[in-house]
Amino acid sequence: MGIEEKVPEGILTTSLDSVINWGRANSTWPLLFGLACCAMEMIATGTARHDIARYGSELFRASPRQADLMIVSGRVSNKMAPVIKRIYDQMLAPKWVIAMGICASAGGPFNNYAIIQGVDKIIPVDVYVPGCPPRPESLLYAMDLLRAKQRGESVGAWRNVEEPVAADEIMPLGV
Amino acid sequence: MPLDVAPVFRTYETQRTLNPPGIPALAPMPTGETDDTRRICERFGEDIVAAGLHNGNQVVMVEPSQLKALATFLRDDPGLKYETLIDVTGLDRSHLPLNGDARFQAVYQFRSYSRNQHLTVVADCEDEQGGDGNQAQIDSLTGVYRGAEWPEREAYDLMGIRFAGHPDLRRILMPKNWPNHPLQKQAPLGGEEVPFTFTWDDPEFDTLGTQILPAESKAPDLPPGMSRQNMVINMGPHHPSTHGVLRLVVEMDGERIVSIDPDLGFLHSGFEKTGENKRYKDFVYYTDRMDYLSAMSNNLGYCLTIEHMLGLEIPERAQVIRVIMAEMQRIASHLFWLATHVLDVSGTGMSLLMYATRERERILDLFEMACGARLTVSYIRIGGVWQDLPDAFIDELKGFLRLMPQKIREYEAMVTEAPLWQERLTGIGYISAEDALGMGLTGPMLRGSGIDWDLRRDRPYSGYEAYEFEVPTSDSGDCYGRFIIRLEEMRQSVRILEQAVDNLPSGLYKSNNRKVALPPRAELDVSMEALIHHFKLMTEGFHVAPGYYYNGIENSKGELGFYVYSDGSAKPYRLHVHGPSFNNLYAIDHISRGEMLSDVVTNIGSIDIVLGEVDR
Repeated sequence: MGIEEKVPEGILTTSLDSVINWGRANSTWPLLFGLACCAMEMIATGTARHDIARYGSELFRASPRQADLMIVSGRVSNKMAPVIKRIYDQMLAPKWVIAMGICASAGGPFNNYAIIQGVDKIIPVDVYVPGCPPRPESLLYAMDLLRAKQRGESVGAWRNVEEPVAADEIMPLGV
Repeated sequence: MPLDVAPVFRTYETQRTLNPPGIPALAPMPTGETDDTRRICERFGEDIVAAGLHNGNQVVMVEPSQLKALATFLRDDPGLKYETLIDVTGLDRSHLPLNGDARFQAVYQFRSYSRNQHLTVVADCEDEQGGDGNQAQIDSLTGVYRGAEWPEREAYDLMGIRFAGHPDLRRILMPKNWPNHPLQKQAPLGGEEVPFTFTWDDPEFDTLGTQILPAESKAPDLPPGMSRQNMVINMGPHHPSTHGVLRLVVEMDGERIVSIDPDLGFLHSGFEKTGENKRYKDFVYYTDRMDYLSAMSNNLGYCLTIEHMLGLEIPERAQVIRVIMAEMQRIASHLFWLATHVLDVSGTGMSLLMYATRERERILDLFEMACGARLTVSYIRIGGVWQDLPDAFIDELKGFLRLMPQKIREYEAMVTEAPLWQERLTGIGYISAEDALGMGLTGPMLRGSGIDWDLRRDRPYSGYEAYEFEVPTSDSGDCYGRFIIRLEEMRQSVRILEQAVDNLPSGLYKSNNRKVALPPRAELDVSMEALIHHFKLMTEGFHVAPGYYYNGIENSKGELGFYVYSDGSAKPYRLHVHGPSFNNLYAIDHISRGEMLSDVVTNIGSIDIVLGEVDR
């Protein structure tokens, strides 16, 4: 039946989508980027008891250029928002975002002048995690949901993502 | 549509009609006298507006022209010896019934470590009549106490008070183009209205996920005092070793650091303004999120302040439970400090991170047993604690206490004697005792320079006087000394915990005063009166008599202070938080000069900052 009968033994055929998504979903490297209380739970997720390494995501990269996943762990202030936007733009596609906790999702208890009411006002979010802060188990479940999303994506879809605006057009990192 | 960063005014926030007549009211004048106030009055005579005791604190109100002279006198007089200026903050009284008095006041907290005295100094700011509040001015105390620099900048940034003679009066927390001074009373709380129904036709959703902030595009300025002749390196706000969103502008000459200009405020969350719009009991939940590594201590510091203003007696059992929780939190916080400090300094530290967080998880498990939360606990409430300890708690805690000393020895075996570790820490980040006092440093930063001071022992609260423990100090003044101190503090906390567990009395876990503390759930089913109390507390809250009070407790990082000004209503009129991380971080410039860039990372770890508290 088709090409599978022609190839020698020990070779499998599959679609490009499934093999690339298999790789992406099982080694999503998060950005080493903490904001507030939720970052403590993010670190707890990375340590021995909860062990994010079981899911292939233990490699927290400090450089946005090596990371696939931004976990926005905490409240986003007006001063920090342009920085987050810039870091997000520096990440290479494909890239995903988890809004961890109620502050990153919708502002949470800080409905005031200083805090942006949800990080989705500045960058697109794939998974929202409720909780203040969410337990490590919640974050692991969010990774599960993200993995399901990653498996359903098409490789071609990321080719059409718009190029980000040049970073210095967005904000200065002035003093 | 660009995101509008200008604050949105929310009309539904203010409910002044709830207040009975006579509220808001000014705080009464201090009464009585003490040795110190008498001595100050003798020296300054007419220039002292009022002096005495208020809510148990010594208070001196001084004419603004004599403020600097008073501060110098306080520091230099052999009979007073107030070595340290703990805190500076401002007070905007425009919503109080003033009779032509000054709108702004500056409030200073002085501390004498050698004489174990605390003194609050209040001075009116000079202001033009009926102005918009941007002309208030007062003398800067930076010439007398160096540590006043940052608190004064904060008061300028958030309150708009100008400090004449300040060397570097810039905004410190807010973006530099921020339109107002958020803590002034006419500045709105801001935020967004919470919609209860959504339609996807809402124009808000058109730009969701694509909005960017409007910001001018230009080359970064140099901070004042830095030279382009030298190399200027930008560290943060996204950096793995700054323990959060801290930005340091480091000026380097070759390999050596010339100066550092920290840029704060990337996590500024408006805690103080939010607190002034919440009822007293509702701010407890916010304190968790300030120093999120020691939520229990934050709860405790805030509750003690309000309880003192209410004159509330706390049952014995509740006090011991509080001590247990605060000491467990200290161990947990120090464990996390150890883990990240070792990780930052030494590349092999990953294993210690795993070991230390393993023990920390056990503490978090115990917290979870007591209150259901791991991190943001809100367990200590005004009047006592939220609920009684579960039966299995004490046995679990005893098991942990048996294990902990052995684990501390394990950590020590990994780093204390290691030559690499000693090389990286010894002699790095040196700070002398005089500098530590002048900068207003607290906690292990102070004890690391040989000042033998611990609020738990020297100004005991929550029954700490009943426990036997030692206060470790070190004369070395460097990162290694502070490292040894924090390890020893963990051992002492274990010791306190052992005593507390053995002497846990039975009885009430929260105050019986139904006007302040909620009635137990079971009582609501049988008592109409309990239901009324519950309803009153949940809707209106309790009122605190007009007055003000500053209270500090020994947090794992230093002195955590709360200054609360009440106008008699159910919300604090002014709520100021003195975060130890904020004041201790001020030292980073001083201790890093002349060292290498890699030592900055050591110094940040050694200061032990939490950005949630630095930026508030």
